[in-house]
Amino acid sequence: MLNIDRRWIFLAIGVVSIVPFLIGIGMPVSTTVEVENIFDYVNELGKDDAIFISFDYAPGTQAENTPMAIAVMRHALHNDVSVFLTANQPLGHGMAIGALHYVTDPAIPDFYESVSFEDWSALRDAGIVDKDELVSAWESEGNVLPEGCSGWIFEGRDYALLGYAPVFNLVILGMTNSIEAQYPQDAHGNSTGEMPMLRDHKSLREVDLALSCSGSGACVWWITYAREKIGMPVAFGVTAVMATDYYPYIQSGQIIGQMGGLRGAAEYEVLLYENGVTVTTGKAFTGMDVQSAAHLLIIFLIIMGNIAFFAGGFHKKTALKGRG
Amino acid sequence: MYETIGIWVGAFFTLAIYSFLYKENPLYRLAEHLVVGVSLGYTISITYDITLKPRLIEPLLAGSHWILIIPAILGLLYITRFIPSIAWLSRYPIAFLMGTSMGVSFPLTMKAWVLRQLEGAMAPLYVSGMNWSEVAGNIVLILGTLAALIYFFFSKPHKGLFFGTGSKIGIWVIMLGFGATFGFTVMGRISLLIGRIQYLLGDWLHIIK
Repeated sequence: MLNIDRRWIFLAIGVVSIVPFLIGIGMPVSTTVEVENIFDYVNELGKDDAIFISFDYAPGTQAENTPMAIAVMRHALHNDVSVFLTANQPLGHGMAIGALHYVTDPAIPDFYESVSFEDWSALRDAGIVDKDELVSAWESEGNVLPEGCSGWIFEGRDYALLGYAPVFNLVILGMTNSIEAQYPQDAHGNSTGEMPMLRDHKSLREVDLALSCSGSGACVWWITYAREKIGMPVAFGVTAVMATDYYPYIQSGQIIGQMGGLRGAAEYEVLLYENGVTVTTGKAFTGMDVQSAAHLLIIFLIIMGNIAFFAGGFHKKTALKGRG
Repeated sequence: MYETIGIWVGAFFTLAIYSFLYKENPLYRLAEHLVVGVSLGYTISITYDITLKPRLIEPLLAGSHWILIIPAILGLLYITRFIPSIAWLSRYPIAFLMGTSMGVSFPLTMKAWVLRQLEGAMAPLYVSGMNWSEVAGNIVLILGTLAALIYFFFSKPHKGLFFGTGSKIGIWVIMLGFGATFGFTVMGRISLLIGRIQYLLGDWLHIIK
């Protein structure tokens, strides 16, 4: 048992990870206070509010971080909350673009129809920037919401892809005084000074939440440079590996909540679904069956390994492969 | 068309990376090197496109913001690392960045990482209206913090009731922390596998939605 070829374990994990996708077990996902706190906070926000979602991760942790960012982005857009998308690293910039495409992809349930900054410039010039008036004016021009679409989102009013900026900790610090000074243009080359959402939210002092979806310790920058300087509410969406490191920040009240790994994203998806924000749960929830099955297998392997170790391997000093 | 090609390329390299689980092979090494190369290429192009071009080159070409020449020269000095005879010049931008970063971050970092955490750990054991689970939680929090700190106090031998017992409890507290971290780590690694399987079975093979 102690000398089992590790490739058999890889194969078993592979099988256990594929089968639940095919047969669909549908195990329930209960929600935790840390995630509920973020949901409740965003749920209280409205069309006069704005949040930051920072894509502080690279493709290596995309499977965990992207579902969190998408879930919160959907929630905010559903409530007409303006969403700023930033990234603390160049690869995170691509993650932000990918998440925005996913939320506006007609092939994905609960998608939003995006209107580019240029396309609604005439309405903007006419002074129509209130979301309800904007939708009415836009639809009166003959634009029809596609079937199954959750709503219109206007670039510059509902979202702004600010993207990556170097030395991001100092960028956060600078944004406590002026967002436009740090991002004169968005990632599409649009002037941020002309965006209604930046006129209403000139600095981080006028923004209601920063969610850092992070695969590294850089998420703490938001606490250090935004929370501690101006008292800005901060929430974390971190990888599971990091989650235990950041629980103390909940205890100290420095973050309002935390989504830990795919499980945290699945919890947020469940809350969105149960509260009627989305018509279905997302990728994180569907992955939870696999997560449970794989955990059961790993627990079984740990127990078997310990039994084998103490039943003979340890006392008889059996030579383990690769250990001399 | 391009999206389909992209998905097939992604699936091929996912399988190439996972082929390492059987044994190391040239396909795995090709994929590994490509990850590094493509990431670097992407980083350079993004940095040029959304940082250097709009924030430095275009303002300078427009004949305004001449002050930008100073950070531009400082940035270029980094490249002197590749020329041994003048490599010492690269110390200037490094010193500038370190100095400003330290100056800016020190007070806020102290507040965020030390003072606030201390404040969080100074929870009252009992306040009127607290239920028993909160009280128990506060006791565990305070005793656990103290025990872990005693374990890392090396100026006294870990003997006797206070230092001996305290450090033993401290080890248990630390081990519990490691156990929780290990559990989350397993969850994290499986999550990454789930992401790839969703890609292979969904985006590539269309077996699942």
